[in-house]
Order: sequence, then structure tokens, then C-alpha cells
Amino acid sequence: MTVASNINRDYDLFLGCVGPNRFPQIEAATMRVFEKLDIKLHDMNGASCCPAPGVFRSFDIPTWLALAARNITIAELDKRDVAVMCNGCFGTLLEANHIMRTEPDKRDATNEVLAKVKREFQGTVKIRHIIDILYNDVGVQALADRVVNPLRGIKAAVHYGCHLLKPTATRPWGKNERPRFLDELVEATGADSVDYRDKYMCCGAGGGVRSVVKDISLDFTREKLQNMKEAGVDCVIDACPFCHLQFDLGQTEIKQIFGIEFNIPVIYYTQLLALSWGISPYDIGLLPTADKPAGTPPYISTKPFMDKVLANMK
Amino acid sequence: MENEKEKTGPVQGAGAPGEEPKIGVYLCHCGVNIAGVISMDKLDAYAKTLPNVVKVVQYKFMCSDLGQNLIKDDIKNGVVNRVIVAACSPRMHEPTFRKTLRSAGMNQFLFEQANIREHNTWVHMRQPEKALEVAKDHVRIAVAKASNLEPLDVMKVKVAPVALVIGAGVAGINVAKDLANQNFQVHLVEKTPTIGGHMAQLDKTFPTMDCSACIITPEMSAVGQHPKINIINYAEVTDITGYVGNFHVTINKKPHYVDQSKCNSCGGCVDVCPVITENEFDEGMKDRKAIYIPFPQAIPNKYTIDMDHCIQCGLCKEVCEPHAIDFDDKPKKIELDVGTIIASTGFDAYDPTDYTPYGFGRFENVITGLQMERELSSFGPTMGKPVRPSDGKAPHSMAFIQCVGSRNCQVGMHPYCSRVCCMYAMKQARQYKEKHPEAEIYMLYMDIRAFGKGYEEFYEIASREYEIQFIRGRASEIYENPANKNVIIRAEDTLLKRPVEIEVEMVVLSVGLEPREDVQTISRMLGVAQTGDGFLMEAHPKLRPVDTLSDGIFIAGCVQGPKDIPDAVAQAKGAASAAASLMARGEVEIEPYFSVINNGLCSKCLSCIDLCPYGAISFEKLEHEVKINEALCKGCGTCAAACPCSAISQNHFRERQIFAMIDTAIPVANGK
Repeated sequence: MTVASNINRDYDLFLGCVGPNRFPQIEAATMRVFEKLDIKLHDMNGASCCPAPGVFRSFDIPTWLALAARNITIAELDKRDVAVMCNGCFGTLLEANHIMRTEPDKRDATNEVLAKVKREFQGTVKIRHIIDILYNDVGVQALADRVVNPLRGIKAAVHYGCHLLKPTATRPWGKNERPRFLDELVEATGADSVDYRDKYMCCGAGGGVRSVVKDISLDFTREKLQNMKEAGVDCVIDACPFCHLQFDLGQTEIKQIFGIEFNIPVIYYTQLLALSWGISPYDIGLLPTADKPAGTPPYISTKPFMDKVLANMK
Repeated sequence: MENEKEKTGPVQGAGAPGEEPKIGVYLCHCGVNIAGVISMDKLDAYAKTLPNVVKVVQYKFMCSDLGQNLIKDDIKNGVVNRVIVAACSPRMHEPTFRKTLRSAGMNQFLFEQANIREHNTWVHMRQPEKALEVAKDHVRIAVAKASNLEPLDVMKVKVAPVALVIGAGVAGINVAKDLANQNFQVHLVEKTPTIGGHMAQLDKTFPTMDCSACIITPEMSAVGQHPKINIINYAEVTDITGYVGNFHVTINKKPHYVDQSKCNSCGGCVDVCPVITENEFDEGMKDRKAIYIPFPQAIPNKYTIDMDHCIQCGLCKEVCEPHAIDFDDKPKKIELDVGTIIASTGFDAYDPTDYTPYGFGRFENVITGLQMERELSSFGPTMGKPVRPSDGKAPHSMAFIQCVGSRNCQVGMHPYCSRVCCMYAMKQARQYKEKHPEAEIYMLYMDIRAFGKGYEEFYEIASREYEIQFIRGRASEIYENPANKNVIIRAEDTLLKRPVEIEVEMVVLSVGLEPREDVQTISRMLGVAQTGDGFLMEAHPKLRPVDTLSDGIFIAGCVQGPKDIPDAVAQAKGAASAAASLMARGEVEIEPYFSVINNGLCSKCLSCIDLCPYGAISFEKLEHEVKINEALCKGCGTCAAACPCSAISQNHFRERQIFAMIDTAIPVANGK
């Protein structure tokens, strides 16, 4: 089965902050996957922070809205829908786009601000998470058809992340309690998505919690990792660089604060998909190309995961 | 179709054609509803400046007797021959004021109501100055229309003394019984093989704890034996045409594959039938054969073959002594002419499978309230001794989760309260506690709504004497202990402000009520709109709760919204009374808002015939004329708008009446 020919094949790629600054392998894997699918992800010149829904929106909604709307106007001028890799950026841009389209008072007030930088929100583009594009446009079967290295025997703990799912009304998933779409995407690679307790719980980072009360945010993460460990998983699969940061760097912080060591490799979905498609693990940050300098990602080695993948392939 | 209409007497008195319009404008204060927002004196002064207005009167409540008398006196004294009341929405009081005009000897259609309450002071109460301007607009537009009004004749149509009741649950049964007892012929149509509805599935009823079967089965059998009631079971209404008093109904009676007149209900066929399938009546908790009677007390008590599951092995045919089995049975089309229709099609219980956090369908020991009801029933799957599905043992602990599907704004759920779940859950908890006094019973609720007679007392006893533990908080999710299949509920105790986890052996989801799956079809067929929640809409939420905006069609029971048995029965009796009052009089007035055609102008393009949603227009070949059936026409105006020759106009909404309103509403359009 091939990918339907009528899907949108040109997007502006909104990078966000955590992705490019902390985990370049997420962008690398995503670019390679979309290249294979013949979907172009264009650079989005002049994009700023989305801005983060927890930290910015919690303090000043008009400012948050103006910054988000400015980012959307870039795509409007490019006449392309926006593809997003991060749940936080997805939440901000999707909801800002929705507010700007449906609440004329707020749109007018925001456009007054945007006029100062000679911009105007038009409401002509859609905001899509890459998971949404992969699941709803490309389809699970078309992804599975490209798999050359099925990741059999890999037990994956799927983490959805909050902004990917809620609030339901604006999200592209319809009914949204205990969703299965990311599990299905993971299973397309041949890996098993393992059920674990409180699978739909927050990673702990969002909502400004990590910025303000780091130890509380890490306690969330600890609980989730504990539940994953009990289910005996080989890796965490996520769809958000910020969740990724919380699970990956977070494990080193948990070790410092709580003295607990998990060592569960943390992998972004497109990394897993790219691996199953036969893309070199060195190109997508799953194996280091040289001696990795301290303080660079990944903070938890993905080697045990890769060892198991390679062992199962033999 | 023969048209049974006749016209009222000639137009008399004030307002006869040819007279110059003398308009009286009656401004209603509506207490403070209108006068509390806008200056009535300013509106009064403005109205006096409008053309043809001869008198302006203010009064606190124009709809009161005293207010109406002000209008009557002016008509009788020849002061006015057109009446405008600027007050509330015409939906409620237009009939009131029309009666006023009629009793003063004036044609009732020389009346116009300006809605300056719902359309103005209620919505603009914080902008009194602007609201005054809007009120002036409303009055000015009404004056423009009133200046162009013409008297119309009321039509009367005969009402056949026959009623159709759709749906034979407790509401439909009561409608049928009340009407039949007044000697009207009743056709009672039921979709399933038996009458009785959901009430027949219930064990006991709150708050009196009397046995549901003991009170519904005598009613069912009385209906079954009533000479004036014709039960058409296992059948669905497929089409309704006509109008109040003269409906033509088409019904599809599904094949039973068992000759109902021959079957003697011996049950020999059941013993030999090899097919086992799920029993809907027991909510899937017990099996039945492909040839079945839903439950022992079913009315009519005759067998039906479920062809979706039957393998046509013919064993039943071999054993059936009266030779009732007929595999060649075909659907039958039944056509009826009835005067009134009462829809009592009931509700569906919310299916919690979709609400995945509660794990219904995933965890064995999570069941619904209706399933619990079957377990509690003495003729249910467990003979009245509830057990948990995983091991068939009586649970030592149980939790009821309230508001499942109700009071929830998530996709696929219902924002409204289902009104019965608090009570039925408490009833079930009490029943279980009576059998197992040692059992720990929890109830997780948002608010306890014990609003009916004797309900609060029932709640008191449940919490005090039965020691049911009430925890205020909506359960967030349920997970299963795989070792013992116990279920663990997570919730926030919002009174103690702390999260709780409760492990119990079984959970009962108190599922809410939702509109029937096919409610849209029913709504379209009856021409009765749905409210936002999907239930059918009554004509007025307070004063006309059983009427609909389609004349001659009434609603009773849960088709109008969730309700308990006393309310459903009360509404049924109301609907029966409303239908009876139409049929007892034998005739009804209908509004003369039909379209009229000038065949001299008509080019016979016949485009109106296809457009008419009511099939009221026909082309008479012999006379070479287009005819509009005045009784079938509902006055939608589609034909009048579409007619390329302007040959069709609609009574009371004629072109010059509408354009006069538009011209004065938008002065620019008029070049002013």
C-alpha cells in the first residue's frame, strides 16, 4: 500500500526551542522520515519561540497570543500549513490559531499588535503535529510497508504527552480517552507497545512545573519511569522534545535528587520509525559517531536498546 | 385526498376590507422586564408619530384581563381597527391577543405583535439607550405590517377519533390506556416483539421499592386485552403524511416467522432450537435461543424467530404442533388513518464502552446499572442474586459510579443530568445491602439529585441506615488488579480535598439516558424538532410540555428528555388528555397561512410542485390549473419565493406586507 496521492506534501516546519537546542537528533530523524515519504518540510524563516503554553500563557494571554499569531503569519505568507514536532508548540499554535479564527475581539486586538511589525493574521493555515500527519494522512499501513528492520521483541513504553491530546475539541483525534494512535504507530515498526500503569499521565515537565518546582516535576517523572520499569520496557517512545528532555536528562536529575537509577533509553517516535526503515542509527542519534562529549544528548545511553535491536535481528 | 375543511362565518365588524387602517399600539411594561430597561414614555411618544397610529396605550401587564379589556374597549368603541401589542415573543401570547380581538368582534388576523422583550430588553438590558432605539424599530416595523394586514378566515378540519401511539413503554402504555378508556380507537405500535419497554427490565422501583414487574405487567395485560387498543408489535412506523386530524400512517410489520394466530406459546420450539445468542432483554447477561419470547410475561406472549441468528435447521417446525412456524413469512405493510399521534419512543441507556477510562468491556467486573437491574431481578440471569461476572461470586465490596455519560462535556458524552441515576443507584445499593448486610458499598457522586416525592428521605435512609458510603467526586479512572480481577477506582474526594483509591470487587456504572439511536428519523418523520441534547422538543417547556409545534402530534415520556417513571406516566396522561381534547371536539381550527395561487399569472412551469416539502401542490390536468391544498400547506413560503411569475403569495406574509416591513426597517433601501 502506498501513501495516498492527494495528501498535502508541503509544510513549514516549526522547530520550537527544545528540539533544535537540546535534541538535534529529533529533527534529523524527522527530516529523514519525511524525505522518504516525499513530504517537504520547509524552513520557517524568522520563527521565534512558540511561546510555551505553560510558562507564557499562564502569565499573560495577550502576549502569548500575539507571539504565537506572529509565528502563524510566517506560514500564512509562505502559504503552507505548519508541521510541528513538539507537543507544547502544537498546543500553543493550534489553540492560538483556533482563538484567532473564532474570537473576533481577540483577533482584532492581536492584529493591532501585529500591525506594528506589519503583519496580519489571516486564518489560512492549519497546524499539524507530525504524529497527526503520519497517522491521519500517511496512515499506519503505509508506514509499516516501508519497514525493512522490524523491531521485533522491543518492548516500548509509549508516552503521549498532554498537549497532544487535550483539550479534545481542537485536537484531530475525536474521542480522546485512552487513545491508541501512537501505540499503533509504534506497532507499525514491529515493536510491542506495552501497557503500563498511568500511561496517560503527564511527564511532569509541562505547565511551567519544571521551571518553577523542579523536584515536584521530577517526582511525576520518577513515578512514570517506575511504572514503566515494572512493565519491563526497553525504551520510552515520545512525541515531544520537552517530554523527551524530562525523561532523558530527567533521569540523571532523578538520580541526584532521589538516588534512583532507571537507565531507560528515551527515543523520539521518528527515531524509532527511521531505524525500522533501515536508516543508519548513526544518522539519527541512536548510536554516537565519535566519543560523545559530556553534557550532550542523549543523557541516558541508547546503547542497551540498540544492542537488543541488533541481537534480535540476528 | 378529500379535504374536510370548512370556513368560519363572514368577516364582520372592525377591520373589514376597505376601511382606512386605524392602528392602536399597546405597549406592555411586562413588570420590569421591559419598562425596567427602556423608557416607555419615550417609546410611547415615538409610536404616536408613526403613520396610521391613532392611539398608544401603556399598561403593566397587557396579557392580563385588565390589559386585554383596554384593547377590547377601543375596538368596540370603533377607535382602532388594527392592533399592535409591543411585548413578549408571539410564541406564547399571540393566541391570547387573537382571542381578545375575536371576542371584541374583530378579525383576529388584524393583529401584530412586536417582540421587544426576548428580542430586545432581555438581551440588551445593559444598554438601555440603544435598546430604546431597537424597540422603536420593532414598533415601526410592526406598524408597517399592520397597515397592510388583511382579514383572514380560519379553517376548521375534522379530527378522526383514532390515535396512533408510537412506542409501548410505560409512557406509551398509559397514553393508550387513557385514550382507549375514553372510547377512542388506539393503535399502539412497538418496535420489539413485546410491549413494556425498559420498565419491564427493572426489578424494583424507587422510592417505594415496589416491584416493577408487579406494577407494569398488569398494565401490559390490560392493554393487551383492551377492545379499543390494537397492539402492532415488532413493527415500525415508516411514513407519516397528512395533517392534524387526518394523518395517514404507513407501518412496516416485521415478519415473526411464527404465525401469531396459531402459536399457543407452549415453548416446545425453544427446547429444540440449537442456536444460542445474546438476550437483549437481559442486557447480554444471559443467552436466549434464536426462537424466543423476550421474557415470560411478554405481551403478546407469542414466539418470534430472530432471523439474524436462525440457521433455518427446521427443528422447531418439526415439533410445533399447531404448525405455526412459517419460514416464508414476509414483512407486512399496514396503512392507517389517524387523527392524532403520540410519540413515546423512549430512550437508550448510555453505552459506556466508548468512555474508555472506566474500562467497561475491558474489565470483567465493571457492569452497567441496567445490567445490575437484571441481576437483581428475580427472573433475571442470576435469579435476583447479583454476582460478579469474573467468578460468579457475590461481591463483598461494590462501588457505584455516578454520572456516566451525563454531566460531562467531553466528546460523545452528554452535558445534561439524566435525572434517574442517583436514585436507581441508591436503590440498587440498598437492595444489595439488604441481601448482603456485610458488604462495603461506595457511591462516587458529583451531586446527589434526590428531587422527587419521597426521594430525599430515601437518600437519608440509604446513607444513615444502610451505611452506604458516599464520596463526592467523579471517578477519574478505573484499573484492574490482574491477580484477583478486583477493580481499583481513582477519584478525588472533593469534600476532604484529597485523592483516593478504592479497591472493590465490582463496579456498577450508573449510565445515563440518551436519545434513541433512531431519534433523528422519528424527528424528521413527525416534523418535530430536536432540542440541543437530541431529545424531541416540546411546544413550550412549561405550559405546553406534551404538545409539539406540529399540530396533532404529542410527546410523552423519555422521548422528550430523561425522566423517572412517575414523571413519564404524568406526561403520558397529559399527552392522552391533550390528544383526547382534540378528538373529543372532533374538529380543529388551523391557521390560514397557506399559499394561494393566481392561475391567471401562473405560467405552469410547475417548479413549485417539486419544491413543496409537504406535497401540497398539484397540477390538475383537466382544469389546466395548479392547486394548493390549503390543509396540507404549512405556510413555509418556499413556493411563493420561488415562483418566477409571482403568481403565488402566502396569506399573512404577502409581498407588500413583507416589503413594507423591509422598507421601514432599512430606510436606506427605501431611498430615505
